[in-house]
Order: sequence, then structure tokens, then C-alpha cells
Amino acid sequence: MRLNFWIAYRLLFSRQVLFGGSAPLSFLGLILGVAALVASMAVMSGYVETLKTAMTDITGDLQVVKHGKLAENWESFSKKLKEQDSRIESMMRFGYAQAVLARKGQVSEVLFQGVDEAEFKKVLNIEKRVKQGKLQLSADQIAIGTGLAKKYDVQVGEKIYLVVPLATPFGSSGFKRQSKEFVVTAIIDFGKNDWNQRLVLGDLKALQLLTEIGDRFTGAFIKLNDRDSANETAKNLLERLGPSYSVMTWYDVNRNIFEAVVIERAVIFLVVLLIVIVAAFNISSTLYVFIRQKYSDIAILKTLGLSPRKIRMIFLSQGLIVGAMGTVIGIVLGYDLCFGFMYLQEHYALISGSVYKIDRIFTEVRFIDLFVIGMATQLICLIATYFPAYKGSQLEVVEGLKNG
Amino acid sequence: MDNTSYNFKKNIIEVQNLTKNYTTGASELEVLKGISFSIQRGEAVCLLGASGAGKSTLLQILGTLDRPTDGKVFYNGEDIFSLNDESLAQFRNQKMGFVFQFHHLIQEMNALENIMLPALIAGDDVSASREEALKWLEFMGLSDRSEHFPHQLSGGELQRVAIARALIKKPEVLFADEPTGNLDSANSQKIQELFFELQNKLGLTLVVVTHDMAFANKFPRVFKVKDGRFA
Repeated sequence: MRLNFWIAYRLLFSRQVLFGGSAPLSFLGLILGVAALVASMAVMSGYVETLKTAMTDITGDLQVVKHGKLAENWESFSKKLKEQDSRIESMMRFGYAQAVLARKGQVSEVLFQGVDEAEFKKVLNIEKRVKQGKLQLSADQIAIGTGLAKKYDVQVGEKIYLVVPLATPFGSSGFKRQSKEFVVTAIIDFGKNDWNQRLVLGDLKALQLLTEIGDRFTGAFIKLNDRDSANETAKNLLERLGPSYSVMTWYDVNRNIFEAVVIERAVIFLVVLLIVIVAAFNISSTLYVFIRQKYSDIAILKTLGLSPRKIRMIFLSQGLIVGAMGTVIGIVLGYDLCFGFMYLQEHYALISGSVYKIDRIFTEVRFIDLFVIGMATQLICLIATYFPAYKGSQLEVVEGLKNG
Repeated sequence: MDNTSYNFKKNIIEVQNLTKNYTTGASELEVLKGISFSIQRGEAVCLLGASGAGKSTLLQILGTLDRPTDGKVFYNGEDIFSLNDESLAQFRNQKMGFVFQFHHLIQEMNALENIMLPALIAGDDVSASREEALKWLEFMGLSDRSEHFPHQLSGGELQRVAIARALIKKPEVLFADEPTGNLDSANSQKIQELFFELQNKLGLTLVVVTHDMAFANKFPRVFKVKDGRFA
């Protein structure tokens, strides 16, 4: 095997082969194909990871909500949850309310997320996302998303109004308006475009006062000591708590997106793989020409005692060498493309947040992606070089010697 | 003819009624027409004939580079064409050496690597093969040429490297097809002398194809090939 690779290497790195004719272009095609695969898979993985991080930072690893009505007693609620699964590290109650934000004659619908001011830093990871100001929540302090801040031109320390319609049996309209003025203490990049455009983060007590729900709350955000066990923990909790509770992971909340990503990833992989296939068959045609030029060498190798099988192995080794080189250089280039993509994102709006939910993606190069890309490239190169290799191995020695 | 009638102890090669036909389009060309002969171990034999007489074809079949249309070739009593391609390649590597009119050295390898090739193909240790190849380079007077590539060597040097390559595995038979056909007369003389020196020194069986009468006259045994038969 070592001999096959040695001969393959020596013959391959001659000027006529790897550095002559159309071979460099074919090889470049292979490199570009691999690089495109690496970059596209990194972007897809990065998209999932970016969305996942945003979800877990803002809403915890798990969300537990009681169906139909608000939960009432946090002490018993949290005790009940804690008893169900030892993987729960910490938890806190939260509340949601639909509200209207009003400022300087403009209004828009927002989602008010109230979190337990004393506990939320243990469960959520919001502080690292603060772009301006300092994250302080109280009865009249709130934080808003970057999109809202831009839309209303709000700076840290400025005031906004939140208005909540409350149902009431009294009066002709059937509802009453509750409003409160808040000081914006921080502007946060929530990581998801729709959150940046409409999420308002405040103290749960402020939300409870504004919506007149007393001490009640929507549910609990949970942080796990093993983040990867979210699915199992959710399943376990759901079984133990019964059908009156809903337990959701970051995946469940965006199930449609993540399922679409799996399909998109497969489709993109196959489409971009076509570049590799075309490049590999270009290399195959180069190898045909090479074998034609090397009839004399093949004949003499056979004369010296190399069997047709070993001749075939030599040319297949060339396919492996070319494939391995293309994979390695392509991966390096793919990494560079990822960095370039990140750099361009800093300066240009490459991704439409309204379409993709997030307006900035961190690329993530996963080992499994590199492994699959490497294996696929090697396999394609092997298949592409098999035919010229077979042809070379079947050469008649006498014919080859005449060509010398 | 029964195999046992041959003297396999004495004869290294036995040829029985060898024929070789080539099909070109609709017509069939009969190149060898039922040749039978034997070569003794350590013998120097010349196949002499005009161009197209069939002498190179005969040498290629004796060297297992081509298969006969009919007839048999026994090597030390073994019918070599009963072997498959894999075994035949191994047999060639172990028992036979070849020198051609053109050196057929691999351009991408230097002199030392070209000489090492048969040993490496046999699976010999790399450093041992290297040692052996260096010895042969020294014997050929080419010690200072070991790192030179074929395009950096003269015609005579190329042919000496090719001979060293043919001999590194210590073959029993050395086949040479017009080995001096591409050399000037001075180099041709040197190579001719080298062949007989090697034959005496190593006890080689030498089978040489030539159309050079002067070269042929130096052989104790000459088969004249004419129209696919021995004249």
C-alpha cells in the first residue's frame, strides 16, 4: 500500500499532471466545491446554534406553562417542579402580557415579558446581550430590544408608556385601559428579529400590577445543569406533571424552523456537492489523458512485476491523494469564507431578519460536517478515478512499450 | 510431447510449438509459427533476425509480457502461462530482468529510485533496497549519478541504469530487446561487454534480441528468426 502511494505521489506531482493543462483548474474546482460545502454547512449549523442560544438566553432551557389559566402559588409550583427531575439547576416564574407601547405620538403592539427581578440572572443569560445601559428591572424600569429602540429612537434613561387593555364587566366597552410610564434602563439584542422588534423585558411585579393579576404568573423558565438533556427532561416532566401542563424546549418553540433547516441543510449539501462531483469528473478526464501519456511507464511497471490490481491501486491512490488535498485545502478555504461572511455581516445587512428570524448568524464548523464532507469528497474522487484506473490496469504491456 | 521428456534440471526454459497470431481488422497475422526450443541455465542466447521477423514477439512471450496464441513455455518445468496475471507479475519480478532498446526509466524518479523499483515492488525493506541499488550504481560506475533524473543522464548512462534496475532482484534470466539499438558504437561496445561480464559473474541466463550481426557473433548460440520460424 505504501508503494502504491509512493508511486502515485511521484507520478502525480510531475509537471504534466497536477500543474499542467486543465488539471489545476479541475483541482481548483474541487477545492472551491469543498470550501462551499464547508461554508454552507457552517452557516446552517450556525443558524441553528444562533437561534438556540437566543432562545435559551431569553427563555431558559425549558418553559413550563399551566394550560388554560395562570399559575398561582409559586412556592408549591416550584417545589412540585423541582421534585420531578434532578437535572433542574434553577428556575424562576415569568409572565407574558400583550401591550401597546406609546411614545411621542407613535404606538405599536409589544410583548411584555415579566421576570422575577431577584432570580432572572440565575436562569437567563440576558446581561451579555445588553448593548446600551445597565440591566436593572423594577416597578418602573424596563429594557427593550434594539429594533424597538431604533424605531422609536429611544435612548437609555428615556421614558416610554406601556398600555394594557383589561377586560371588565363594567362599562359599555367591556374593557378598560391600564397604562404606566417606564424608564428604559437597557437596550438589548435579544438575538431574534421579532423579539428585538416587539419584546419588552420588565419586572414580574410591574407586569402583575399593570395587568391586575395579583400574585399570579404564566409559568416557569428552567435552567438545566445539562443543557443537552433538555429533550429528555422535557419528556420526563411532561409525563410526571400530566396533561394540564405544557413543557417546551427551545426546539419545540421553533419546531417549524428547525425541521425546515434539516431539510434545507440536506438539499444545500446535495446541490453544493454537485460542484464537487463535476470537479471530480474533470479530474477523472485529466487522469485519462495522464494515463494515455504514461502508457510507457505503466508498461514498464507491469514488466517489473506490478500486477494489474496494483496498477489500479496506484491510480486509485492518486484519486485519494487528490481528494485528500482538495478536502484539506477546501476546508481551510471554507474556514476563511466563514470568517469573511462574519466580517461582511458586521458591515452589511446580509440577512433579512424578517425572513430568517435572526439578522446575524454565527457560523459553526462542526466536526461531523467536516467528516461527512471529507468522506463524500473521497468517495466521489475514488469513483471518478476508478474508470481511468481500470483502463490503465488493463493496458497491454507490449502496446505500452511501443509507445515509449 | 510429454513434459517429462525435457531435461528440466539442465534447461531453464522449454518452448513447445509456440504460435502467436495478431488480428488486424478482418485479417489474421501469424507472427510465430510453431517454434520449439530450449535454453540451458546460464546460457547466453541471441535471437537474430530482420525487423518484423518475430524475434521481439518471441522474447516478449518468453518474458511473460505477452501470452501465446498456442503452445507452451515451461520455466524450470512449470507451465508459466497456467498462472494468473497476479502470479505471473510476481514471477516476473522474482525471476526475470528486462532491458529494452529505449531505457524506459520513469522520468519522475531519479536513478537510484528507478533501480530500487523492482525491490520495492517485491516488498523488500526500503533501506535494504536502497543499499542494493547503491551497490549496483557503483558497479555501473554511476555512484555520482544516483540523484540524477533520466533527463540529466546520457544515453549510455540511461542504459546502464536500466540494466542495474533489471538486475537488482538477481533474476535467473535477463531478457534484452535490442539493448544497443539506440546507442553510438562506443557505448554499444561497452554495453555488449557489460552483458557478457554480468553473465559470467552472476551465472545469468541471457536472452538477447538483436539485428546487429557483430553483436550476435559474440554469442555461443544464435537462433536466426525468419518469418516466425527458426531458419
